[in-house]
Amino acid sequence: MAAISTTYFEAGRGFAARATERNNELLAQQSRRRRGVRTPEIYFSKHFDNSRLVKAPDPARVREMRLFSAAITILFSLIMVYGLQHFSAIENGYRVESEKQLRDQLREENRQLRLSEAQLSQPGRIDKMARELGLAEPQPGQVVHSTNHGDASTPALAQVAPPASGVQAQ
Amino acid sequence: MPSPLRPSRNRSSATRVPPFKRTRFWLVCLFFFIWALVIAGRLFWIEVVRHSEFEERAQKQQQRTFEVAPRRGVLYDRNLRELAMTVQVDSIYAVPTEIDNKQAAAQMLSAAVHTDPDDNQTTEDQIAARLAKNNSFAWIARRVTPEVAARVKTLPLKGIYFQKEFQRFYPDNEIAAQVLGYVGIDDNGLGGLEQKFEPQLHGVSGRVYTAMDARRHVTGSSEHEPEPGQNLVLTLDENIQFLAERALDHAMEKTQAANGTIVIQDVHTGQILALAIRPTFNPNLSRHTTPELLRNHAVSDVYEPGSVFKLVTYAAALDQHAVTPDDIVDCQGSVITVAGRVIHDDKGDHFGRLTIHEALEHSSNVGAIKVALKVGQDRFYQYARDFGFGSRTGAELPGETRGLLRPVAKWGPSSIASIAMGQEVGVTPLQMVSMVSTIANGGVYLPPHVLMPGQVDGTAPNQRMAAPKAAPFKPGGDLPNPLPPGAHRVLSTLTAAQMRKMMEGVVLYGTGRSAQLNGYSSGGKTGTAQKIDPATHLYSKTMHVASFAGIAPINNPVIAVAVIMDNPKGAYYGASVSAPVFADVAQQVLEYLGVSHDIDVRTPRAQAKAELSVAEDDAPEHVGDIGALYAAANDLPTDDPWRASSTPPATAVQPGAQPSATASKAGANPGSKQSVAVLSGPQKGAGAQGAQKQPQPLAGEVTISEAKRLRVPSLIGMSVRKVIEQAAASGLEVQISGNGTVREQAPAAGTAVAPGTKIVVRCGR
Repeated sequence: MAAISTTYFEAGRGFAARATERNNELLAQQSRRRRGVRTPEIYFSKHFDNSRLVKAPDPARVREMRLFSAAITILFSLIMVYGLQHFSAIENGYRVESEKQLRDQLREENRQLRLSEAQLSQPGRIDKMARELGLAEPQPGQVVHSTNHGDASTPALAQVAPPASGVQAQ
Repeated sequence: MPSPLRPSRNRSSATRVPPFKRTRFWLVCLFFFIWALVIAGRLFWIEVVRHSEFEERAQKQQQRTFEVAPRRGVLYDRNLRELAMTVQVDSIYAVPTEIDNKQAAAQMLSAAVHTDPDDNQTTEDQIAARLAKNNSFAWIARRVTPEVAARVKTLPLKGIYFQKEFQRFYPDNEIAAQVLGYVGIDDNGLGGLEQKFEPQLHGVSGRVYTAMDARRHVTGSSEHEPEPGQNLVLTLDENIQFLAERALDHAMEKTQAANGTIVIQDVHTGQILALAIRPTFNPNLSRHTTPELLRNHAVSDVYEPGSVFKLVTYAAALDQHAVTPDDIVDCQGSVITVAGRVIHDDKGDHFGRLTIHEALEHSSNVGAIKVALKVGQDRFYQYARDFGFGSRTGAELPGETRGLLRPVAKWGPSSIASIAMGQEVGVTPLQMVSMVSTIANGGVYLPPHVLMPGQVDGTAPNQRMAAPKAAPFKPGGDLPNPLPPGAHRVLSTLTAAQMRKMMEGVVLYGTGRSAQLNGYSSGGKTGTAQKIDPATHLYSKTMHVASFAGIAPINNPVIAVAVIMDNPKGAYYGASVSAPVFADVAQQVLEYLGVSHDIDVRTPRAQAKAELSVAEDDAPEHVGDIGALYAAANDLPTDDPWRASSTPPATAVQPGAQPSATASKAGANPGSKQSVAVLSGPQKGAGAQGAQKQPQPLAGEVTISEAKRLRVPSLIGMSVRKVIEQAAASGLEVQISGNGTVREQAPAAGTAVAPGTKIVVRCGR
């Protein structure tokens, strides 16, 4: 494997050359280790040419694999969508529930306020407060109700001015 | 050496495959198959065949149901102002097992929650007793105010929790209390509309179904939301109701009457705009309510209308063309004898020849009787029925009575005379106001209603869910077309117009002058009737019912008002007691509604000049046949609320004497004519049979004995102590008003009365 690795300085040499050189180095090292015992070793370099070996094309399998991949992708997508919806629904449910609680709380507040309004505007209370403020009931004829029937061209009955200290009311 | 590729044929190392036996295999398979079949069959038996049985057992074991209270419907007035509504309030409960020092906790809690001295559920002892039971739950106080809840929250106590509950509030306090009613602690209606429409107002309770395991842990739950109650819109106008109640308060203060009623009705629709009753109560403080206060006098009480009923008499005669308003009637010096019974006009009146409208203006009994005799009793009775008397109006109020109006077959010979004067007949205030409304709107009887139409009768689509609509009262409408159910024409339009004119004459020239308005024309009729003394079961000389029924304005009436004051002290005539109340109420209501003035407005100085002395109207001395009145009460069906709630009706014991002789004796002795006339009983016809066989008094009935009569002693000038002693010695009761010596007494000295009669004396210094 050392022969295969390429260093920066060996970048320009080919693979076979590097392999040959490496083999020579190894042989020299083995000689030194042997310390005089020499065993004839014959090295043959055999080149295997596997370029003729190619995988036989299998279009059926390729199609099958593609189909399988597509199916898996779709299934995965469906699962993810389901999961997303499921957890979104749970989250939305919590959110809806909290909104419902808020809505109920606001409705109850609304009712409380309407009750307060009704209590504060009860005629007896208004009457009492008005009298305490020095107000009195209008006398007959003091309140004049203006009516806006018809337009300017319709004949209207001429009337004298309302009684003194009359109060215009609309 | 054998090749590694060839299998070894050495016998010692060869693996022996046992021979395959098919039968044994199939037997084993069969065995397992049968076993599986048995299991499957058993599963099928348990899960399919006995499914419902096990489901039921499981539910009973695991399921707990909690009821969720629904929100009660709102009661609105016609302008959609809330008269009764429900909101959530805090209720306080404790978990006693979490509280260490229960006595100290009870003391602190009681100090915070015990705000009403009459509430005996929040005293320290009560709270301590509940905590001492050591359960897992104990109420401390229910439905407390926000201030109380805030106080409890500040207490340094463990084991105290809050829970929301519904509470019914009546924002206007006492206004229309008898009409609305109130609710009890469990949110169920008690009285009034709350009771009458309990199914609609209550709603449908929700359910929470929970499944619990053996350790009572909740494993799952499902919920059915509660359905809130239906909101109802009443025909009442809150402001008109307030005006009526304020006027009634003034009148009650002035007259010290036992109770008072004002009913205001829209003449064109029959809707009740106001129904005021005194004394009243506050529905928010239902703990202090008594059954007497809950009683709706407008529908549950009957009274003899007296002269107000003359409107029916004259209307019938005009409609039958028996008389015209300008015809002359001879009042014979204000005395008439009918079937041996002598009847007078008011004391001091000696009318001769009067026109019909003058006879009504001056409330001549003789004139009314003669007019009724011209109509005839059958047609007169039919008109009374057409006006709604003697039958329920159908107003949406509980406890309504039919009133007392006997069929013609049971009339005595002088009944037509009595009924023409408004005696021997019992009416409710609601019937009375409906009668004047009929005259006001042109002659069509419209049943009175308290509830806006189409809410509970199923005519409105999705009535439960429909949003309530405001229907402010606008004066000047026409009769509805088509007429509502129960409506029918009673008088012709001309007759109704003639009657309105005559009613205006009563107010302008007759006994109803106190009912004149400023800037508006008005018409009506006063009435004064004696009440029956519950002690003696005879007509009382001191207890009266003063009434006035009127309409305003005259030419295009907007409202009809009936004012009934029960047992006013001091002045007791309808003219002086009820007519001014009508004037007060009608003036304010018409001004509030913005009705245009149809006559000139008088300045305050001119108004003061116009306040004339009140002309007293019909005399209370001329009483009807009290026995007939009791007979009418006895004839009421047993389901009539008035019969169930009133004192037991009485029957007059027939003396057995000849009617004519008795009647002549009555004529000779005016002072005691009432008692004898009452006891003379039925005269001819059906009466003769009654005279022959003595009616046996039924259980619970009272018989009136004619045996013992007492003369009222003179108490004038006596001190209070002496008055009491004298009355006790005479066997009479006394009611004293004022201090000092006696200035006036009623009945007058020398009057023959039954033992136990109440004498009213007024003292002064």
